[in-house]
Amino acid sequence: MLGFIIQRLLQAIGVMAVMSVIVFCGVYAIGNPIDIVIPPEATQEIRDAAIQRLGLDKPLYEQYFIFMGNLLQGDLGRSFVYNIPVLELIGGRLPATLELVLISVISATVLGVSLGIYAGYRPDSWVSKTIMAVSVLGFSVPSFWVGLILILFFAVNLGWLPAGGRGDTVEIWGVAWSFPTLDGLSHIVLPAVNLALFKLAMMIRLARAGTREIMLTDTVKFARAAGLSEGTILRRHLLKLISIPIITVFGLELGSTLAFAVVTETIFSWPGVGKLIIDSIGVLDRPVMVAYLILVAFLFVTINFVIDLVFALIDPRVRKGATA
Amino acid sequence: MKYKKFLAPLAFALGLSAAGAASAQTLTMGVRGGPESMDPHFSALGSHAEAAKHIFDTLVWSGTDLQIEPGLAESWAPVDEDTWEFKLRKGVKFHDGSDFDAEDVKFSIERIPAVSGPTTTTIYVRRVASVDIIDPHTIHINTDGQAATLPNDFIRLFIVSSEAAADYSTPETAAEGFNSGAAAIGTGPYKYVSWEPKGDLVLEKNPDYWRGDGAWEQVIRKEIPNDSSRLAALKAGQVDVINYVSSVDYLALERDADIDAIKGDSVYIMNLQLDQREDTPLVRAIDGSDLDANPFRDLKVRQAIDHAIDRQTMVDIVLEGLGKPANQMMPPGFFGSSEDIPMPAYDPTKAKELLADAGYPDGFEVDLYCTADRLPGDGAICQGLGQMLTQVGIKTNVNAISKTVYFPAQARLEYSMFMNGWGTLTGEASYTLGGLAHTNNPDVKLGAFNRIEYSNPEVDELLQSGAKMMDPDQRRATYEQAMEKVMADKAYISLVQLQTVWGAKAGTVEFTPRFDEDTLAFFIKPAN
Repeated sequence: MLGFIIQRLLQAIGVMAVMSVIVFCGVYAIGNPIDIVIPPEATQEIRDAAIQRLGLDKPLYEQYFIFMGNLLQGDLGRSFVYNIPVLELIGGRLPATLELVLISVISATVLGVSLGIYAGYRPDSWVSKTIMAVSVLGFSVPSFWVGLILILFFAVNLGWLPAGGRGDTVEIWGVAWSFPTLDGLSHIVLPAVNLALFKLAMMIRLARAGTREIMLTDTVKFARAAGLSEGTILRRHLLKLISIPIITVFGLELGSTLAFAVVTETIFSWPGVGKLIIDSIGVLDRPVMVAYLILVAFLFVTINFVIDLVFALIDPRVRKGATA
Repeated sequence: MKYKKFLAPLAFALGLSAAGAASAQTLTMGVRGGPESMDPHFSALGSHAEAAKHIFDTLVWSGTDLQIEPGLAESWAPVDEDTWEFKLRKGVKFHDGSDFDAEDVKFSIERIPAVSGPTTTTIYVRRVASVDIIDPHTIHINTDGQAATLPNDFIRLFIVSSEAAADYSTPETAAEGFNSGAAAIGTGPYKYVSWEPKGDLVLEKNPDYWRGDGAWEQVIRKEIPNDSSRLAALKAGQVDVINYVSSVDYLALERDADIDAIKGDSVYIMNLQLDQREDTPLVRAIDGSDLDANPFRDLKVRQAIDHAIDRQTMVDIVLEGLGKPANQMMPPGFFGSSEDIPMPAYDPTKAKELLADAGYPDGFEVDLYCTADRLPGDGAICQGLGQMLTQVGIKTNVNAISKTVYFPAQARLEYSMFMNGWGTLTGEASYTLGGLAHTNNPDVKLGAFNRIEYSNPEVDELLQSGAKMMDPDQRRATYEQAMEKVMADKAYISLVQLQTVWGAKAGTVEFTPRFDEDTLAFFIKPAN
């Protein structure tokens, strides 16, 4: 097990190093950030001074090694645009993204798996057919459009919920969260629904396909022959057997939603990290871009690692394979 | 019907606090961009200065039409060739109760080079050599050579408190000191309460403001960069005023009785720029072979392009009416705009004749580059331009791209024909012509944004002499003459002047749109 963890850790470091090189070179290829942000009255001298102050006059490899040197000391650098440490900038916005994404992914999974199992268990009922029809919508309608319609309907026409932004926050363990307040919750509802729709549809389809397959297997036949109730079969046998692909997808979705909830965050003016990264790309704020993508790589590697551990807990075959 | 009964009270409870946000004493503004720091000297970005104007005052004020007016300086006059005297306003107090005096001005000017970010504010003090305090309310600014437009440079020179900001004037400490509010002490109409990057800036009224009593007890400036979201926030009642309503939404708002759409002229003019180098990269014959020479060096070709453009259609169709045809690089009425420049006529037949005369009876092919995400309608204007030019035989491949890619490539001189907006933010011609029309020459600090290697010795001569003229009338005439020459050369072809739209809840507020597009809470009054 220890070897497994060490191997994963080395893998993570490798991925993050490659990521930093790609982002560094990519941003360098687009051009000099100074040309985007410099005001029109600037003379050549002023331009040169600004370039020098940001260290952009040094060759690319030197800039890279300076960055990596600082990184190893735990310093991700300062944002060109805000002149505050990148970690502070990202850390200040991470809770907003975290609460939005967790609420939407978890509720999508709980609801999606329940509906999916029902649809797989009674495939011919009209309820199941309705569920499946609606899930197609979740897949096929672009989320920015759904977001705009949600705002138009619930915020503008009905006036029930706010059109965007984050609500009142309370401090828990020194971090500002908005979900414990009523105002905060009312702000979360629409973006969370917007973010959850696609995942809900996917979870429904995944759970349904798994259920239909498992219900025809010998395991279920024997369980029924042994006189177990249908409820017990569903809970104890079926749920365990369909959960492996669902957990894999859950992990990947959690990671990608955390990293790239950009569309929803933009439409709902949600002050999360997705919006930060898009804005940073817009002005080539390289320290923020590189630091953020390195963190995302780290996040994905961690999530995959946790998923592997969870597999081992659920599936004895995986567990035995790992120890053998 | 049951679910409605269940949902309605729930939604009412949830929506309650949102609706409560808009009270009479509070003005909530939804704006496209925000400050990058609470340090006013960090960035020269328009949205940064706009936010800073709420907390800090400038030495010289620029009015609604960008005319210069007294700010913290009551008057100014040149003492000799390279010295300006500024008389400071008496009895002005900072938010912490301390007095404003010459020490604060000197301190503010001197801290700029140390704390400025990449969008550098050193441009405002680029002509300042040194500052002498004569008495607490008189200062002398010694300039680096003659600087006739020094007061124009000072319209964004914010004055911070020399006491409060004393410990927060190095690159490492400035952001921390100002963002926490400790040093964000100004003389402006509102006091700092809280701010988070890309989030809300919360302000409260400064009861001792020297301009008089403000209308709002509290001002909240919310950053909502997405155009649709900003409008939705206004319609949902979360904000009272928004800026930059898109042209598409403007049409819908015209028919909406709940929302007032307020239209104002913008300083931004879209200019088509034609590379004047002997060798230009992105032009070729129709069959793909190389041309013998750069066609844009031929005046007839440039005139043909000018005649091929239907500016009125551009305004009416492409911009949905949110603009005006432009015949020069500055709006009419600005210092140095000429009234003698004719509006170019749309005449495709003549354009074809001119092209044939110039030796291109079959036309040629060119790649046109424009920004697509910087100003309202820029991408659409680019598309329209491509079609109009193709109709007279210049096969135009339209590339409307992100400003992130466009500006660095433009600075590397990679384009042959390109279009972007230019705003004369100072309201006078030395800013625009000095940057774009003078031969690029670092020795005289002119022409830094001339990316087409345009060079007309007569224009250079006029611009250099104009920069030294202390007599405003004489200077105005010189710049008008330079503008006429530049526009006659047609290396820069001005297309349209943009217009900007603000949205507000119908009948709630009154304000006059500003040319520089600033949305300033102090000048927004409740309608009664």
